[in-house]
Amino acid sequence: MLTPITFYAVTTLMIASALGVILARQPIYAVLSLVVTLGAMAALFVLLGAFFVAAIQVLVYAGAIMVLFLFVVMLLDLSPEVAHRARRQTLRGVGGALGLLFLVKLWHALRSLPGATTDLAAAAPLDGTTRAIGLRLFTTHGLPFELASVLVLVGVIGAIVLAKRTLD
Amino acid sequence: MSALPWSPMAVELWLAAVIAILIWYDLTAAADDKPKIAILAIAGLLPVFPLAFAHPERSGAFCSGMYLLDPLARGFKAFFALTAILVIAMTREFARHITRGIGELYLLILTATFGMMMLASAGDFLMLFIALEIITLSFYVMTTYLRTDEKSVEAGMKYLILGALSTGFLLYGISFLYGYTGSTNFAALREAIARSPTLPPWPLLGFLLIVAGIGFKVAAVPFHWWAPDVYEGAPTPVTAFLSVGSKAAGFVVLLRLLHGVFEPASGVWMGLLVWIAGVTILYGNLVAMAQMNMKRLLAYSSIGHAGYLLIGIAAASGLGAAAVTYYLGGYLFTNLAAFLVVIAVFNATGSDDLTAYAGLSKRAPVLAAAMFVALLSLAGVPPLAGFVGKFLLLMAAVHRGLLWLAAIGAAAVVISLYYYLLIVKRMFVDPPADPTPIPVSRPVRWGLYGCMAGILAMGIWQQPFLALAVASVRSLFS
Repeated sequence: MLTPITFYAVTTLMIASALGVILARQPIYAVLSLVVTLGAMAALFVLLGAFFVAAIQVLVYAGAIMVLFLFVVMLLDLSPEVAHRARRQTLRGVGGALGLLFLVKLWHALRSLPGATTDLAAAAPLDGTTRAIGLRLFTTHGLPFELASVLVLVGVIGAIVLAKRTLD
Repeated sequence: MSALPWSPMAVELWLAAVIAILIWYDLTAAADDKPKIAILAIAGLLPVFPLAFAHPERSGAFCSGMYLLDPLARGFKAFFALTAILVIAMTREFARHITRGIGELYLLILTATFGMMMLASAGDFLMLFIALEIITLSFYVMTTYLRTDEKSVEAGMKYLILGALSTGFLLYGISFLYGYTGSTNFAALREAIARSPTLPPWPLLGFLLIVAGIGFKVAAVPFHWWAPDVYEGAPTPVTAFLSVGSKAAGFVVLLRLLHGVFEPASGVWMGLLVWIAGVTILYGNLVAMAQMNMKRLLAYSSIGHAGYLLIGIAAASGLGAAAVTYYLGGYLFTNLAAFLVVIAVFNATGSDDLTAYAGLSKRAPVLAAAMFVALLSLAGVPPLAGFVGKFLLLMAAVHRGLLWLAAIGAAAVVISLYYYLLIVKRMFVDPPADPTPIPVSRPVRWGLYGCMAGILAMGIWQQPFLALAVASVRSLFS
């Protein structure tokens, strides 16, 4: 009983905030609405039992990438959109057509999936995705994982060298 | 579940330890002591040579195929260590122009070298990608190192944006290959491609995107746009490192991918590579004629050399691969000698323009003589290393029946002689604007002697070097 309620609550929130992304006049509000959308999407993943994907969704999309978005918006100091009004009509048409195309393709994809189950409760429990990913990360992919630490180290050194005013 | 086998990775583990020690030293040492990091770094690189060739019986694929230890990887680990040692020696000469963070510059040279060594051993696209990113990330920072110099910042910005774009191409291509075969492992991919050697559209698209990504790294036409500006703006030792280390890293990848993974599909890509090679040779050499700045000229000439190296890749034969490694060996000594002279001249005159080289033979005979030998070797005049390398490459092309590609290569030698000899004329015939002698420090002198010895040895006494080149690529074709 609890799952459907949560599901509908989360999806309503998601649709509302997604509308906020495209309707907000101030770019900063659009970005903040996108954060809510992505957060709600993470909640959907939790409902599906994909806890690891949910955590990554929050860390990478709602966290890192959105911070980047905010930085860009603040850096460019965008004014509320007024300048583009002339081109709006055609843009609306193109956007609507693309959205329709996406919905049609999505409908086809859902219909053609072999053995797609509509009963989410039966589909959910894939045992321990985090465990499975962790096992692969530290066995078959152990070396690239360790190597990535050197990459991060180079990034840290580089950022300090380029950004800091005095080094010694 | 077994622990990772560390012993085959002795070289990289040693280098990682050296990097860790240097970070600690850089953090704790007084500002006056920081230039000593160069000595420590060179001392840390020396053990790479015995380690790289130790335990020849301990070869093969390790860590679920992620890490390959074969003669190719071993040979190029030594190559990169030698390059790094010479570049660090150059950086010491150039250090007076670097006002901040000299210790970190040496560190970044070492991390880039570490990435190159891992790249030479990559047996999986995942490893290849991370190793490549370690290299390019280090180079982005090193290119921008003269933060108050507009040209350096512009070069760094251009390199960063275009580099990120090419990385995107590479990743996108890898994802298509993964989607088609379900694997990123080189051995598994090779099997999958051997089953359909005509390459269906999606893996073909992936292949083309990967070639575009690597083509950027080696500065092959039409992915060369970044090279002249970045080479001109970057600090000169970094330019030298880019032109030798980064380029060689790109060619190791090309050898592994085209002569290894995509070898069964060679019928598909040979024609494409032949075109790229021909256009790159002509473009690099023709545009180099119009340059008035030494670093820009060397940038265009390095585009031309990438074209020559691509002949060996396009030939898709053991001879072609051996020729590529031989040519890179000669190119290491030749190009680093040329950049060493560029640094010495810049230190004395404060300019990289060709006019600064007028009458160099009267001001500093050693520099002029070294530049003379290096330029003739770059052009491919016997009995120098460049001649033997070009000869092998053209021979590989002729063996494959790529006669007109060989003809372009031979014609471009004449073009390149024209602009190389114009510099020689400036150095030996033109009167110097300022006749005061240029002092040549002992490290520069010894570095130049070492490079001269390498150029002459690889030109006259080819047999042992050729045997080494053939041995290093043999595992690709077994």
